[in-house]
Amino acid sequence: MAPQQRTVAATPVWLAVAPLTRVRRRLSHDDWFRYATLAPAIVLLLLLTVYPVINLLMMSVSSIEFSQGEQHWTFVGLANLQRLFTDWLFATTLRNTLIFVAVAVAVELALGFALAVIVSGVPRAKGLIRTLMILPILVPPVAIGSMWKLMYNFDFGIFNQALEAFGLQPVGWLSDPRFALGSVIAVDIWHWTPFMFLILFAGVEGLPRDVMEAARVDGASIWQTVTKVIVPIMRPALGIAFLFRSIFAFKVFDEIFLLTSGGPGTATDVVSLHLFKVFFEQNNLGYGALLSIVIILAIVAFLVTARQFSGLVR
Amino acid sequence: MLASYWRRILLAAALLVFAVSPVAIMPVLAQTSFLNVGKQVPITILINSSPWLGGFQSVAGLYEQQTGNKVNLDVTPYPGMLEKARNAVRGTESPDDVLNLDSGWTIEFYEGGFLVSLDQVEPGYALPKEVLTCGDSYFWNAAKRFRMEAGGVLMAIPPNCNTHVLVWRKDLFDQAGLPAPKTYDDVLAACAKLQSPPKLYGFVTRGERGNGINFDFMPFLLGYGAHIVADPANGDFTVTVNSPAAKEALDKFIEIMKRCAPPNAGSIGQADEIQLMAVGKVAMSEVVIAAWAGLQDPNKSMVAGKVAAAVNPGPVGRPPGVVVGNWHFAIPKNIPETHQKADMAFFKWFLTKESQTAYAEAGGIPVRSDVLTELAVQPKFAWMSAYNDSLKLGQQVLGFAEGPAVEQILGLRLNQALIGEMTAAHALNTAASEIKDVFARSGRKTGLLPPLPE
Repeated sequence: MAPQQRTVAATPVWLAVAPLTRVRRRLSHDDWFRYATLAPAIVLLLLLTVYPVINLLMMSVSSIEFSQGEQHWTFVGLANLQRLFTDWLFATTLRNTLIFVAVAVAVELALGFALAVIVSGVPRAKGLIRTLMILPILVPPVAIGSMWKLMYNFDFGIFNQALEAFGLQPVGWLSDPRFALGSVIAVDIWHWTPFMFLILFAGVEGLPRDVMEAARVDGASIWQTVTKVIVPIMRPALGIAFLFRSIFAFKVFDEIFLLTSGGPGTATDVVSLHLFKVFFEQNNLGYGALLSIVIILAIVAFLVTARQFSGLVR
Repeated sequence: MLASYWRRILLAAALLVFAVSPVAIMPVLAQTSFLNVGKQVPITILINSSPWLGGFQSVAGLYEQQTGNKVNLDVTPYPGMLEKARNAVRGTESPDDVLNLDSGWTIEFYEGGFLVSLDQVEPGYALPKEVLTCGDSYFWNAAKRFRMEAGGVLMAIPPNCNTHVLVWRKDLFDQAGLPAPKTYDDVLAACAKLQSPPKLYGFVTRGERGNGINFDFMPFLLGYGAHIVADPANGDFTVTVNSPAAKEALDKFIEIMKRCAPPNAGSIGQADEIQLMAVGKVAMSEVVIAAWAGLQDPNKSMVAGKVAAAVNPGPVGRPPGVVVGNWHFAIPKNIPETHQKADMAFFKWFLTKESQTAYAEAGGIPVRSDVLTELAVQPKFAWMSAYNDSLKLGQQVLGFAEGPAVEQILGLRLNQALIGEMTAAHALNTAASEIKDVFARSGRKTGLLPPLPE
């Protein structure tokens, strides 16, 4: 054992003394080559990520007009920021967005996880079930909007026809401010629960069988197995699923634009829709840029807060 | 033998005439019935998918048939039209040779210098005197920053002058012995007598947030003599939308919608409105004239042949309010001159009496007064009288650069008042204050009326 230890100890000395300068010289030469070959990718990355952000920051302190076929930028300092503080509609849309994200993602996570656990326990045809389960993700958003708008239709929709068949009054699913946001969230849950299922199903399928078997031998109930064994092991997968869906949900646009356009009143207005209206309908690019930055910061703040409270991502 | 010879000659001649007749007759038709515009390069028209698209597609096809010139239609849903038009004019060269612009968008394009005036393409060109100018929105007075013929240049031509008319179920009214409604009180009375929800509602118009409720409330606003802004043509942008008359108009609008429209009035859009009428679930509808062709098509409508059109109702003792929400065919600056000339050729052809008659026959909304007058005597075009009479009262309401922002504000506040989130007075006061801020940011001379008591 002793000679082996000496040999091991001698190696760093060999590296550290005579050949070190040669290695350094050779490494720096390699580094130069690496940087040179990496440069195009870095430049591309900067152009595609950093430049748009810088441009957005510049826009947010400017007023941009199009006149005589040219752009005219005027520096307005903090005027756009001042406008934000008087834009009560933005506050309303932010509140609606937070409700949307919290409810939709929580339900999707719970349902997706439950379905993943249930389907993993099915002895046969898992592939077929998985394929059927993910169908809603494959439907184009416009088709989803049209389909659900028809189903929610007050006079001709299937839901109200079902209610009437039971002698109940029809409901203004998309026209009553009390139901509109919930109706939109329901569509989102239908659309995105399969995404949660897909991520979590892979996690559940990868659970160590010996641990599950040990829990069963120790007499753990199904609830105890889920809460004390599966959830702790799957915490990283749950965290990633939560993270991705929260980011997507925060940016929700197509479903709401197609179903309600933010109405009735402000019941379903969300930040992306507000941003769309400022940018594309009012053509107010400077204020729109500021709202974009605020939305990015809001998403980051939401995720940091959620991580602090949930402890899901570690 | 001789008879057989002549028979063969006659047969050959007849076959020859039969064979060449379409070729021979078409140019004759083109030269005599339709304007000959010469050979032009192909053009692409950015156009919205709307109730009048079918009629326009037919007439564009006729243009191709008559002239041999190609017209491509870049058909786009309404929500994507504005951004597509902006991208077209802001690029190096527009992919579209004609932009169809909604009334509220025109100023951004007129003022931004993205379009050529028609006079620049063809010096001295003027609209034929029979062509309707739809509240003068085709002219741009740069000095006053306002759309007006006096001192303005012609920037576009009308593909239609869309206005509302009251479409009502003549069969139901006749059965009930009711006259055609002329006032809002008539509407309420007829609705009380006819409606039997959920099978039949008395009245419907758009109540959805945004352009829908804003445009469909405007006849009420104008009918009560109220306006959004004091005198924009002369630079007075004092906001008057919270006047007592405007409050009266909004109260009446809400009353009619609450008492006569389906319970989901706050989310009814144009497609819903037309659908409700087409399936026979509504007795009266304040709807754009462009919807008429679909309602009279038995393949699309259960009420074909059972409906009539009239000028919008109004308050007792006042002329009805009519708002013009027309479209504009304009030529981008950033296309080759040959394409601009080809656009002009199409415009001139499209505005001829013959083309407009063909347009009407195909379900389009003609823009020539002589065509409207002549066709109105035919039973199938009886609606043209209502349309023509409506246009005489028609007004533009958002003829200033801030139009889209103002429309968004009103579109939200009116909707909130309709669904009960705000009182009518609070909605109008809030809208007025927000609209004033928009004008102030643009540097307009603006102000507010005293707030309505809430």
